[in-house]
Amino acid sequence: MTTPLVSRRTALKALGAATAFLPWLSEEGEAAFAEIQKRKAPPRLEVLTSAQYATVEALVEAIIPADDRSPGAREARVADYIDLLLSEADAPLRKQWLAGLAALDAEAVKRFRAPFVRLPEEQMVALLTDISQYETAKPKADAGLEIPRNEQPKPLPPQVDSLMGDVRHPRDRPTLEAFFADTKQATIHGYYTSEIGIHKDLRYKGNQLLAEFVGCATVDGKDCPHCGRKARS
Amino acid sequence: MADPTIDLDLAAVLDESRRLAAAITPDSGPWDAIVVGSGAAGGMAAYQLAMSGIKVLVLEAGRMLDHRKEYRTMEWPYASPRRQRLPPDHRALAVAEYNFLDRPYGNHPAFAKHKKLASYAGNSYTRNWVVNEKEHPTTGTPYSWVRARVLGGKTNFWGRVAIRYGPLQFQAASRDGFDIDWPFGYDELKPYYDKVDLLLGVSGTREGLDQVPDGIYQRAHKLNCVEMHFKDAVEKMGRRYIAGRAGVTTDGVLGNKYRTRCLGRGRCSRGCDIGATFHSPTALIFPARDSGKCVVRPYSVASEVFLDPETGRAAGVRVIDANTREVMDFKAKVVVLGAGCLDSTRILLNSKSARHPNGMGNSTGLLGCYLSEHHMGPRGSGFIPTRIGTETTLDDGRPTSPYIPRFRNVTDKHPDFIRGYHFQGGGGSHEYPSHAHDTPGFGRGFKSSVRRYYPAQFAIGGFGEVLPRKENRITLDDTVKDAWGIPAVRFHYRFSDNEIRMAKDMADTAEEMLRAAGAENIKIDPTMLPPGWSIHEIGTARMGDDPKASVTDRFCRLHDVPNVYMADAAPFVSGGTQNTTWSILAMCWRTMDHLKEDLRTKTSL
Repeated sequence: MTTPLVSRRTALKALGAATAFLPWLSEEGEAAFAEIQKRKAPPRLEVLTSAQYATVEALVEAIIPADDRSPGAREARVADYIDLLLSEADAPLRKQWLAGLAALDAEAVKRFRAPFVRLPEEQMVALLTDISQYETAKPKADAGLEIPRNEQPKPLPPQVDSLMGDVRHPRDRPTLEAFFADTKQATIHGYYTSEIGIHKDLRYKGNQLLAEFVGCATVDGKDCPHCGRKARS
Repeated sequence: MADPTIDLDLAAVLDESRRLAAAITPDSGPWDAIVVGSGAAGGMAAYQLAMSGIKVLVLEAGRMLDHRKEYRTMEWPYASPRRQRLPPDHRALAVAEYNFLDRPYGNHPAFAKHKKLASYAGNSYTRNWVVNEKEHPTTGTPYSWVRARVLGGKTNFWGRVAIRYGPLQFQAASRDGFDIDWPFGYDELKPYYDKVDLLLGVSGTREGLDQVPDGIYQRAHKLNCVEMHFKDAVEKMGRRYIAGRAGVTTDGVLGNKYRTRCLGRGRCSRGCDIGATFHSPTALIFPARDSGKCVVRPYSVASEVFLDPETGRAAGVRVIDANTREVMDFKAKVVVLGAGCLDSTRILLNSKSARHPNGMGNSTGLLGCYLSEHHMGPRGSGFIPTRIGTETTLDDGRPTSPYIPRFRNVTDKHPDFIRGYHFQGGGGSHEYPSHAHDTPGFGRGFKSSVRRYYPAQFAIGGFGEVLPRKENRITLDDTVKDAWGIPAVRFHYRFSDNEIRMAKDMADTAEEMLRAAGAENIKIDPTMLPPGWSIHEIGTARMGDDPKASVTDRFCRLHDVPNVYMADAAPFVSGGTQNTTWSILAMCWRTMDHLKEDLRTKTSL
């Protein structure tokens, strides 16, 4: 694809007088946070013990693993992100989540006589498959087509301050299922806002300096290699 | 937790703000005009007056803005360890909370631990601009009122949709018999829309539609693959799906050293650090200030317009300094209110005197009535098959998504409701794959499924006209006051059956169009968002030629006090489906032309 990206240098030149005002804050921000992004920097944990951290690393990697396209949630330091969420969450929620983490280990020991972090992949998958069963029930978000129309919205209970998942949904699920659901949502957010998630996995192409806007090639009168739409005369 | 995206060093701009507030006193004048507010309305008013050599004092309730530092346009989410979440001492109201919690929202005990409670529009980019609900309470019916107190106001993060009202709005009542027409037609405002387009820059395509008349457009953005597919489908149904019209200069504007043309980064809602997006500070206020005719006093909370008891005309604006709480009377020949529809109306309601016991401009009792905006919420999403399983493309390097102009009650007559709605929306590879949260499973299958559907995402959402009704109104609260002792706004505002039936039709047509496009996994959410969500409030000081049935005349000047002008959307009669900003800019320019003529010809001013 011939995306008309312009180089930083060209862009600065094109901007002329305005360059003096450009902050390029993004790069400063990136530099400041670069350290924690590096795989080998040791975690600076606020809440998790190193044993718990290892379990969280194993869990988030099982949710979003490395594959032949990109590294997984472990290398994207999602466990560090979850530690930060925990450190800024209210005490009852933090406690509840840590209880879920302990329950995960207890379940692993009960079924396979080993803590979660030491389970081989197929046992991990078997355990997570069981505790993610609720997802096969119709999720709330999918229920849209069945909502009776012409209704004023019903008031929902206020969102309790939680940084983990959507706690507006009633917590009638078993502890482990709720724990998995919350952790999966946090993992998704942590991974797809990371450098690895955005650039290596999704290969996101925006937030660039463009000389020309980009669209479907048919807008410019060519057959489109991406969607197969043919140019119209 | 050190967070470079949160711990911004704003010392310089805070110093500048304090210095200006200390230096500009009632004795610093004289001024010809006082403009209250520095957003789209106040900015355009200040610009028009200053460029004509009229001495203007702009009163901004918040601080000045360091646009070089605070517009963090290209910042990646991983620049922050919190990944764009607010720090723990900040909190933004969630959608469900508006209808559920009692007002004032800030009084809820759950928020006691937060230093700042923002409206839903508060995020890591806007958190320093939007007001603290704890200091700015509202009462009455639920209303998600978004306010920003900082130079430029809400233009610092506005949605950029720049479309014109057309004949369908100005003569809406003649078409369906509801309420009244505007006192003039599109022909009257068209030249001002044209001037705004040329001064500020707007991108789009000429389509020849009555619903949204064409402007003078710069280079438009392009529809991406999923959008072209959707366009093919809906245009077979006789509807249109056109490039978004954005208040962003894509080819550049002349004579403004603070602005340059759009480079397609697509992060406009954070503030555009190269000034391609229209923001009032870079587009209007700074150039006005450079003329030498305009000074801005920050931290200036306007509480009321006060009268000259001799003449019965406005003598100036009473200001409470936001920091020192000192009360000061600033005087000028004319007063221009551009604080935003509801805050301007609140100032007038609070301007009580023996001559105007119910507030200035309120001899009819109509001030505060006819509050209107756009109802929103019904939306649909799905995946466009032509892009499922394809590689990522650059799909969101642009200022706004495409647009489906109103198609109801244009040439036909809908049996269930009058007026109409439009859709905004599009799709493609957005930075954040929100569909991942609805993707079941885990592991490699989950991860590849997220990638597979990533470029195929597509979603649209509707904006519908709320009928202007007298009973939808604001008043001043008898007991609740803001942090500066000014009575809070009390809302009396509910959607009528017309809005509710229209919203149902929005959900139906969203589904119909997604089905026509062959989208997979279609989801329709018919839920209406809380009142106020559109941030398009209009109408609370409506204009008209009959002083007994309106608050301002056709030039947005109070019938009761002829040297007070309204620069924002408070005088608008009805709001169609169109996003309001571009019409505020055009109307304000027209009002200022009239004000200048008054100043030139009327010795009594």
